[in-house]
Amino acid sequence: MKKVILFLVIASLILVGFVGCGGNKDTALTLEDLKDITVVSRENGSGTRGAFIELTGVEEKGADGAKVDKTTAEAIIANKTDVVIQQITGNQSAIGYISAGSLNDTVKAVQIDGVEPTSENIKAGTYALARPFFIAVKDTNNAAANDFIGFILSAEGQAVASESYIAVNSDAAKFTSQMPEGKIVVAGSSSVTPLMEKLKEAYAEINPKLTIEIQQSDSTAGITAVSEGTCDIGMASRALKDTEIAKGLTPTEIAKDGIAVIVNTKNPLTTMTKDQLADIYKGELKTWTDLK
Amino acid sequence: MKKQKILDRLMGIVFRITATISIASVILILVFIVINSIPALREIGIFQFITGKTWAPTDTPASFGLLPMILGSIYVTAGAILIGVPLGLFTAIFMARFCPPKLYKFLKPLIDLLAGIPSIVYGFFGLVFIVPLVRTVLGGTGNSILTASILLGIMILPTIIGLSEAAIRAVPQSYYEGALSLGATHERAVFTLLLPAAKSGIFASVILGIGRAIGETMAVVMVAGNQARVPTGILNGVRTMTSSIVIEMGYAADLHRGALIASGLVLFVFILILNIAFSLLNTRKGA
Repeated sequence: MKKVILFLVIASLILVGFVGCGGNKDTALTLEDLKDITVVSRENGSGTRGAFIELTGVEEKGADGAKVDKTTAEAIIANKTDVVIQQITGNQSAIGYISAGSLNDTVKAVQIDGVEPTSENIKAGTYALARPFFIAVKDTNNAAANDFIGFILSAEGQAVASESYIAVNSDAAKFTSQMPEGKIVVAGSSSVTPLMEKLKEAYAEINPKLTIEIQQSDSTAGITAVSEGTCDIGMASRALKDTEIAKGLTPTEIAKDGIAVIVNTKNPLTTMTKDQLADIYKGELKTWTDLK
Repeated sequence: MKKQKILDRLMGIVFRITATISIASVILILVFIVINSIPALREIGIFQFITGKTWAPTDTPASFGLLPMILGSIYVTAGAILIGVPLGLFTAIFMARFCPPKLYKFLKPLIDLLAGIPSIVYGFFGLVFIVPLVRTVLGGTGNSILTASILLGIMILPTIIGLSEAAIRAVPQSYYEGALSLGATHERAVFTLLLPAAKSGIFASVILGIGRAIGETMAVVMVAGNQARVPTGILNGVRTMTSSIVIEMGYAADLHRGALIASGLVLFVFILILNIAFSLLNTRKGA
């Protein structure tokens, strides 16, 4: 019995100790406290990374068509948005990037050139890091798919898109459905999927007879699926490659998304320039004090 | 009597079929990997592929050098063995020969539970607990060879403990009693007699542990940092071959995809070498 009590006492002491430590860490930090920058990036081939390195200029293009991804070899590679966020929340000195739609309170978004990655700024085109969302079809005579695409590009569909992204066509016409029946399959980018789910819900209110199945994978898988005919509409969070269009696909841009640069909530930094951001990801800017 | 014979014949066929299926799947996997990696290997060059230090699959022109990943897999596995084998072996000795039965009833299910935890949960634990721990205690980013080794060391414990304990228990009781009757203490009997007698079973557990460590993916991806470059220190991040495949396969097309499948082939060859070394070790001892 004594042992049990002793154990409980020790356990509660440890617990209090942990909480105490957690409390101490809440004091404001300066850039000096943060020391070296821990760079967190996404994996090669990720749509977010592709858009990020292109938009920031981390990817250098030669005159002969050569493209070199200059992301520092020291960057931690996280293969999911959640893992990026987890890396940032767990490390005061870390910096990362995620889709602006996935931002939450556990991390802090940094302004780029003084512009916050809000949906207003992305729509206005003032925010530097924005990327296109594409859909692609192979069979342009598929009435059901065309009706849904018509909805996406209509005033109603673009209104749905503009809730969290930028609409590509702000003066689109109103939508009139041909009321097709049956089922279509939409597959591809996990970045586009949340938007597609919302579009699907809105479309179902107009025409509940068409079943839309959304399969979440990634941009390349979605484009491959549509070119092989295993789905009707492919989704990509990047522009289609020439080799993909050569397979007989018709791409259509449906919206734009912003990429938010995120740091730990204790990081005092509020803004940086796009060039500084590129230098951090190229490994040329190594400590937080360099950003002063 | 006749009925019995027919049944025997029938079951013989069933067993033959099941055996064929399992062997055929191994061969099919091998054939798939080889066929799919040959075009990529031919284009990149086997030597260039294995010794190249730059992995930049999305660059134009792309470069595919697997050396950082090969070294990554070796370092992380070696670290896991350094941490997991002593810990697991001593636990196994304790469980088999020193543990009071009351405590055993409690500990054994706990160790079994360790084996049942999904690797993604291990990974998450590593990410929120071991990574910050390594960062605060030793510096660096926390996503490192060391972190991955610690995590994998824990993950291979159930394999090592379970098999080693079984091997120690399989040593005939008469060996132990003989040692005691010659005046050896309990500890001496266990460490100088039972352990050597259980050697081959313990080796088997280590080999299986290596197999698990080198093949583990989801947990390692979350804690290792995954940098595709040759690491220079134990606190450097690292990418293993399996992580590389799982991270990039979803996006890979054309040559990139071939190169990833070829890394699978290299991994396959590694495990083959491991198994051959193990069986050589065993037959030599048997002879």
